[in-house]
Amino acid sequence: MLFGEVGPLGGAAWTAPAVRSGWIQGLRTLAQHPSALRFLAACGAVDTIFSLQGDSSLFVASAAGQLLVHILDLAMRGPARGRCSPQACDWPACAQKIVCHIEDSLCSIATPQVTQALNVLTTVFGHCRGLWTQGLWVRLSPLVARLLEKDPVPASHSLVDLLLSVARSSVPSSDRGLWETLAQTLSHLSPTQAGPLALGILKLQDCPQALRTQAFGILLQPLACVLEAAAQAPGPPGLLGGAAGDPMTADTLLCSKSACVGLLCCALTHLGLLQPLPQRPSPWPQAPLLGAAVTVLRLCSGSVAPTSDVGGRLCAILVGCGRVQRAALDFLGALSQGAGPQESVTQVFSVLLEYLMSPESSSMVLKKAFQATLRWLLSSPKTPGCCDLDPRTQLFLRELLPVLQKRLCSPCWEVRDSGLEFLTQMTRHCGGQAGFRQALLASEVPELTKQLLQDPESYVRASAVTATGQLSSWALLAAPASPERPGAQQKSLLVELLHVLCADSEGFPRRAVMQVFTEWLRDGHADVAEDPERFVARVLQAASRDPDWEVRAQGLELALVFLGQLLGPRGSHCPCAVALPETAPPGTLAQALPEAAPPGTLAQALQVLCRVQLFEFAFRALFDCDRPVAQKSCDLLLFLRAKAAPCGSPQEAGDSPNVASVEATLQRWQAGEQGQPLGYLEPGAVMAVLRSIDLEGLRDTLAESSDHVEKSPQSLLQDMLAAVGVLGENEADCY
Amino acid sequence: MPEIRVTPLGAGQDVGRSCILVSIAGKNVMLDCGMHMGFSDDRRFPDFSYITRSGRLTDFLDCVIISHFHLDHCGALPYFSEMVGYDGPIYMTQPTQAICPILLEDYRKIAVDKKGEANFFTSQMIKDCMKKVVAVHLHQTVQVDDELEIKAYYAGHVLGAAMFQIKVGSESVVYTGDYNMTPDRHLGAAWIDKCRPNLLITESTYATTIRDSKRCRERDFLKKVHETVERGGKVLIPVFALGRAQELCILLETFWERMDLKAPIYFSTGLTEKANHYYKLFIPWTNQKIRKTFVQRNMFEFKHIKAFDRAFADSPGPMVVFATPGMLHAGQSLQIFRKWAGNEKNMVIMPGYCVQGTVGHKILSGQRKLEMEGRQVLEVKMQVEYMSFSAHADAKGIMQLVGQAEPENVLLVHGEAKKMEFLKQKIEQEFRVSCYMPANGETVTLPTSPSIPVGVSLGLLKREMAQGLLPDAKKPRLLHGTLIMKDSNFRLVSSEQALKELGLAEHQLRFTCRVHLHDTRKEQETAVRVYSHLKSVLKDHCVQHLPDGSVTVESILIQAAAHSEDPGTKVLLVSWTYQDEELGSYLTSLLKKGLPQAS
Repeated sequence: MLFGEVGPLGGAAWTAPAVRSGWIQGLRTLAQHPSALRFLAACGAVDTIFSLQGDSSLFVASAAGQLLVHILDLAMRGPARGRCSPQACDWPACAQKIVCHIEDSLCSIATPQVTQALNVLTTVFGHCRGLWTQGLWVRLSPLVARLLEKDPVPASHSLVDLLLSVARSSVPSSDRGLWETLAQTLSHLSPTQAGPLALGILKLQDCPQALRTQAFGILLQPLACVLEAAAQAPGPPGLLGGAAGDPMTADTLLCSKSACVGLLCCALTHLGLLQPLPQRPSPWPQAPLLGAAVTVLRLCSGSVAPTSDVGGRLCAILVGCGRVQRAALDFLGALSQGAGPQESVTQVFSVLLEYLMSPESSSMVLKKAFQATLRWLLSSPKTPGCCDLDPRTQLFLRELLPVLQKRLCSPCWEVRDSGLEFLTQMTRHCGGQAGFRQALLASEVPELTKQLLQDPESYVRASAVTATGQLSSWALLAAPASPERPGAQQKSLLVELLHVLCADSEGFPRRAVMQVFTEWLRDGHADVAEDPERFVARVLQAASRDPDWEVRAQGLELALVFLGQLLGPRGSHCPCAVALPETAPPGTLAQALPEAAPPGTLAQALQVLCRVQLFEFAFRALFDCDRPVAQKSCDLLLFLRAKAAPCGSPQEAGDSPNVASVEATLQRWQAGEQGQPLGYLEPGAVMAVLRSIDLEGLRDTLAESSDHVEKSPQSLLQDMLAAVGVLGENEADCY
Repeated sequence: MPEIRVTPLGAGQDVGRSCILVSIAGKNVMLDCGMHMGFSDDRRFPDFSYITRSGRLTDFLDCVIISHFHLDHCGALPYFSEMVGYDGPIYMTQPTQAICPILLEDYRKIAVDKKGEANFFTSQMIKDCMKKVVAVHLHQTVQVDDELEIKAYYAGHVLGAAMFQIKVGSESVVYTGDYNMTPDRHLGAAWIDKCRPNLLITESTYATTIRDSKRCRERDFLKKVHETVERGGKVLIPVFALGRAQELCILLETFWERMDLKAPIYFSTGLTEKANHYYKLFIPWTNQKIRKTFVQRNMFEFKHIKAFDRAFADSPGPMVVFATPGMLHAGQSLQIFRKWAGNEKNMVIMPGYCVQGTVGHKILSGQRKLEMEGRQVLEVKMQVEYMSFSAHADAKGIMQLVGQAEPENVLLVHGEAKKMEFLKQKIEQEFRVSCYMPANGETVTLPTSPSIPVGVSLGLLKREMAQGLLPDAKKPRLLHGTLIMKDSNFRLVSSEQALKELGLAEHQLRFTCRVHLHDTRKEQETAVRVYSHLKSVLKDHCVQHLPDGSVTVESILIQAAAHSEDPGTKVLLVSWTYQDEELGSYLTSLLKKGLPQAS
């Protein structure tokens, strides 16, 4: 016998879960053809799989369930099988057996069995596309509906998953009763259990309006209760249009702290996920939701004291609760995508400010508060007629910046970093707006940001580099102009960042500097545009020596931008782009160096590249021990060769005498001896060397991952053969 | 029935990818979130779908605890928090918090560099993940929420490694992570107090090994390095950035100093500096000797060990180089290995485990011809040595820890099934506790009987003292009082105090029982007979015959009445308060036996 007690089940190895798991894998590989299926069914394999569904290992049990689905699908995928009758007398024996087993499990009083059946069905409706699934649902739906009659509903998580899986399948088109079941389930489950189902229903593309309303009501209930409890006086109709709150939700909120926190967090998260979807309920109660988010945040911070008894109890539960604060701030951020009445927005800004200022706010809460603030600031309406911030936002900014200033001095690196990230994003989006510029320049934030370049924490230094880079791009770093030395401050930033690049012991700040420099070069930052050649030479020199491969790779990125500006972007053929204004943004090399690059001369461009020692950097990188660097260099040199080749050059006819020595050096580099300098290169020699290297071949080799040899079957065989002679002691010595 | 449930998602009968889910008194905690060095596909990370199946991660899990910075304990953390979407708190010690991102960053770079993986966690994700971390101090009780608390204990093993006690009410679990019960050159030994947890989850890497003296291994190591350097060879020691590398550096530095050796020792770029920085910062986490001598000389400021430059690899003459990564699978260590492999004078010493597929694994399994990229064959002529310097507790150490903590149950993880089986029997025999060793995905369920602490009021205790002997811890005594539950606390107080505190009026509750007696005499006479009978039987009690004809014994009242239907039967109404429940029941049974015949 292949299966059963006398088969694998009786073997000693069967006690190892890995063996059982492997057995299922093997069976799955075997069950690919109807004839194999018949064989397996005849040998009693299906019974063994049934028993494995209840395996002590979750992974084995789950794999067994999936295998059952695979077998069922294969059995039902017979030739030209249409929609099957629910009676299923014409279903293959194997399928019938599985379905009967599912039916039995659904009727079982043991919850684990019900869960198994529901999980199998969820996979069936999620993965199987055949029409037979409709027949299956008709047959099984009464049993599923019967589960709802039990109190408590067994395996509610799995039941929700199944119903949503069915609702997303082709079943609803044939069975309208499904909506009825969904509605019943919504009303039978506890508020916490019903949340995921409600969200799932609202995400469906097509479902009855009444069901959607019911589902939305469930998501809104907890917030409606909070609003009601916190109301000082009867106000405008709340979230549920004046309808009374569900007593069950109110009970859940008040019965224990963990239940309350759990329910509120779920509601906030679900509504946050729903907010950006096109199929979200309409009308969307933006104003009451804003009110609810603000109220929850105020209850958590203890800044409101509800007079009602329920409100007082809620306040006691929620005060200082970080989990709810985080969820509510995320939700508040999501709500920034919709407009709100002026009064609500004022409240939002005020509660955000309260959180940013509060000494009670934890670093994670502060991070979320910064993120939500950013989203609200970026979505705030612009003053009509000009692209500046509206007066209210302006006012908020003026209050916010001192708080940011304080947070940049926080003893927690997480807080300083979140503050800097906020500043960078704000500047990126609003750097050109007069209101923002004014407020920022009037504060000490730019100066503090610069000081953070010396922060003891490398993450913060890196964020400070990015932030100062961004501030400088928008000329927001300048101290009040000193008439005799205009721009002195900015120049010193370039020097300072170069110093970080050369001297910082950590990779993050150096990587950040390279990103800033690349951006500066690309956008034609004033300091770079002054003398791009010198700038590139200094940066490449520093980057080439960097121990961090990502800095070297970023150096190649910068080199590529420089090449693009010098020779025109990728795709265009002739390197005469130096003279083409449309390829170069204002302030870039093409404008800054008109005299150094007369139109159309490749040789001169190559001279520039030689002077900045770009070739030495690229060639060295070609043999870098870190693959991404070599790959990037290969791309760069291929780009350069493609640019140069069609145009020709007067110097290339006679090879420069340096070529032989250059090639010899490159060969030594390839062998790993990278000690020798390449020396000054002649453009002609460079081109000759470029043509002589098999860059395409190198690119293909590099495209393979560095362990492809080790992963090959031969390598595995060698490992296995060698393993025979290895001492057992080595095996367990992990760390 | 309350229970503790434990499900390993990794490290169940397995070494690597530690990740254990614990449910205790309704709280769910994830212990470690590691990756498996041996896999580069889905199996690399634990299968988190088990958790996501129970709803949103952040709603399900109350917290994540990381025991130490090794990647098989924290390597999946950024994936879990930033890609799977866990948004809750992550607890670890301060050194782990500082060093973890460096190793994660190293790992990310190797994954991206070596394998070209695009869908991998980014530096930003590592940073965002680290922002969710809450640092804990040793022996500090951290309140995760109102009910769940955790506490860290020193574990040795690596800088910042900790064991964690997880406690909800009176139920607790201790998770050891990796630990070492013997001090080494820079770290102390693990220690835990007699916390008697319901369950101790312990690693069992060396479940069957009693390790030889560490000194022997060290001597062997130094001898090999010395011999190679003496004959003009170069020694390559592939290591991971932090941990064992520092141990070996201290060893070599001391030896070089003592022997006055001149051959240079290098440590790959930046790492000495970084390691120094962290060891200085976290000096309280090192061992006593290092702490003591720190004032005169910092053990981590090496005289002989210099930063390595790529160009040095080509220099002639002997040298020793520590280079990363530890398994010779990419980067600088592999590059140096390629250069030096062809010379039989050179030596490579692998101080740790290498997973299959790496060059390190190949040379350790004895392969001497390695195929490299571009069909090159690298002939390995250099000597290859393996020396285990990993700092895990051996079988003796594990038993020692179990003895120290006195748990009710033990659960083994982070080891091989066969070896665990042996240790399990040993533990069960020696400590008479149940020992479990679930495989990955298997759940162990332990029923618990939570003890509920009750405060006793001073008044009640004083009253009790006044009545009898002094309290004796060894002899439990019965104490009567009223149990009050107020603000989630239980208190036992006197009934008077309870009434006062709760603002309630006192109600007398009496139990009444009818006893039928065959007696043809009048009720008054029956009462007299009852009185005389009780007076003679209950000599120690106060028995009274009241003028209204009723009889009392303490608070018990007995009245005789005629039977409505049967004149030959009298009905005795016996009533008593709950305080005299015992006496009342006794009297009833006595009277039911009837009265003695009048003589």
